Amino acid sequence: MAGARMTTAALSDRQRSWLRRAGPLLLVVVLVVVPLVFPESVNETIARIGVFAVAVLGLNVVMGYAGQVSLGQIFFLGLGAYVTAYGVSNDWNIVVVFVLACLIPAFVGLLVALAAARLGGLAIAMVTVALPIVGVPLAKRLSEFTGGSQGLSARFGDAPEWSGLYDDQWRLYLVLAIGGAVFLLTRNLVRGKYGRVLGIVKKNENVASSVGISPYRYKVLAFTLASLIGGVSGFLYMLVIQYTSPETMSFGHSIQLLAAMVIGGAASIVGSVLGGAYYVLVPQLTNLVDPSLTALLQGAVLLVVLFVLPGGLASLARPLGRGRRSRARHDPAPLITPSATTKSGSAADTPETERQGHP
Amino acid sequence: MATFIQLIVDGLSTGSVYAAIALALVLVHQATGLINFAQGGMAVLAAYSAWWLLSRGVPLVLAISASVLLSFAFGAVVERWLMRRFERGDPDTAVVVTIGLLTLITGVCGWLFTYNNQQFPSLFSLDAVTFLGVSVSQRSIGTTVVIVVVMLLLQALFAGTKLGLALRAVAINPQSAAFSGLPVERLLMVGWGLAAALGAIAGALVAPQLTLTPGMLDNALVYALAAVILGGLSSPIGVVVAAWMIGVLENLAAVYVPLIGYDLKVAVPFILIFVVLVVRPQGLFGRKTVVRV
Repeated sequence: MAGARMTTAALSDRQRSWLRRAGPLLLVVVLVVVPLVFPESVNETIARIGVFAVAVLGLNVVMGYAGQVSLGQIFFLGLGAYVTAYGVSNDWNIVVVFVLACLIPAFVGLLVALAAARLGGLAIAMVTVALPIVGVPLAKRLSEFTGGSQGLSARFGDAPEWSGLYDDQWRLYLVLAIGGAVFLLTRNLVRGKYGRVLGIVKKNENVASSVGISPYRYKVLAFTLASLIGGVSGFLYMLVIQYTSPETMSFGHSIQLLAAMVIGGAASIVGSVLGGAYYVLVPQLTNLVDPSLTALLQGAVLLVVLFVLPGGLASLARPLGRGRRSRARHDPAPLITPSATTKSGSAADTPETERQGHP
Repeated sequence: MATFIQLIVDGLSTGSVYAAIALALVLVHQATGLINFAQGGMAVLAAYSAWWLLSRGVPLVLAISASVLLSFAFGAVVERWLMRRFERGDPDTAVVVTIGLLTLITGVCGWLFTYNNQQFPSLFSLDAVTFLGVSVSQRSIGTTVVIVVVMLLLQALFAGTKLGLALRAVAINPQSAAFSGLPVERLLMVGWGLAAALGAIAGALVAPQLTLTPGMLDNALVYALAAVILGGLSSPIGVVVAAWMIGVLENLAAVYVPLIGYDLKVAVPFILIFVVLVVRPQGLFGRKTVVRV
């Protein structure tokens, strides 16, 4: 690690600015190429990681950047997914569905925050814990809209004829485009004026109010934004997984999402991607070991990370320098590439279930 | 009318269980300034240990007493070896630690005892007693009485003993307490131990009704948190009253408000909170605090 830091420091200014400009470009190129080279199952896993990376990012806005513990983020994912499923199954225009899947969770989040943020300290944590606990029976009750315990499935985002892509490739492109846009906007937001204000509110509310910043208003703002981003992740969830049920927003999932955020890295854009990868990949790994051990291992990992690596996995990538930080977004990919070293076409040649689309 | 009174008594009994967990939360908060989201989980672990002892042939009362003592030790150990490192730091991190602990305990319970529902025998018989034409189950009365007695004992401990005085001193100002020679760190362990023991009693009392599962008290924790918000973290009596109020109101709402019904009664305390927060942000019994910058 020390060696890497020295080489970064040894880079001349010109090289560094080149790196900074090339980094995003490289990122875009990689994002464009990734869906084309991997087999279907890998594409789907990457798409899932994208979905939960967006959800973790939303949690990061309210918890990492604004310092308000929220145990309800999964509720907004579920709400966004239900809105999407309902809209799609009623043949609404997909753009309208997307806008509603953002706005309805944002509005509900605003209402919750208006009440919860009135109490200082940990009250937001104590109130938001109710969202998944109330959300599950509520979703079962409103079976007219949600399909009750059965849940709703809706299929959309098939590859259009002209693209010549498989469906999974097209969906992955959509996830990367929408998720990427959300990440970019959020990154700009937290690095700018609002991010600095949220930082002050997180650090010391009294200082914030003494310089004329209303902590209440910014806490509400952060929570509303987090709910909106949660809604987007719900839309993407429906796009990728195509099915939602009350179980989607269970208390257990809410805790897992929070654990993923802390383990990925609080108040970190890279950490959100790592958190998404953790959320998707680690349960798969622990299930391989022993399904009954999953919860135990998850709790143990969370505690170990809090003890030895309070900044999460993202703090490992930090010393590599700002210019390279964006490249760390691809750390999740290498974790799953070994199985993908085969030729790109091989999965399409010998498919287990037929890959759908227009090759 | 008879149903109405029955509902109120049953509500008081479940409210007592919420009150015990809420009081445990307040105890921990007063001692170490954080909210322990694993309080319910720790109580479930205690209930499982009692259940395990039962299956080894230990009599019920003895098994429960042993589990309460074990919980006291477990709470102290958790404070010393897990929470102490995070107590002086960021409270948000400490909250996440307790959430990690909750996940871990749930995982351990599920791993050792499976996620299937286990039957837990009741201390009190299920028979109803009829009083002035109203029949009320003995279990409801017994649960309420036990918890009220435990609360009175706690009150006596805090008001009338040297240990209680020391615990209060540490809660109010740990630094001054340390200067006057109190073993602050050991007292913090006692505070956590007492809270865990209180939770264990609640767990043993409610386990027959809910049947034992690793997530048995997740809902109860939510109710207890609601009681803590409504009653105010600084007021133990307020918390108990709020918990009873929640227990009774949710029972009445489940029966008399068809829109809510049994499945959505968990929403009742939060509708209540919503109203209270808008009208009285410091909680029903809490005081407004002024913080020095």
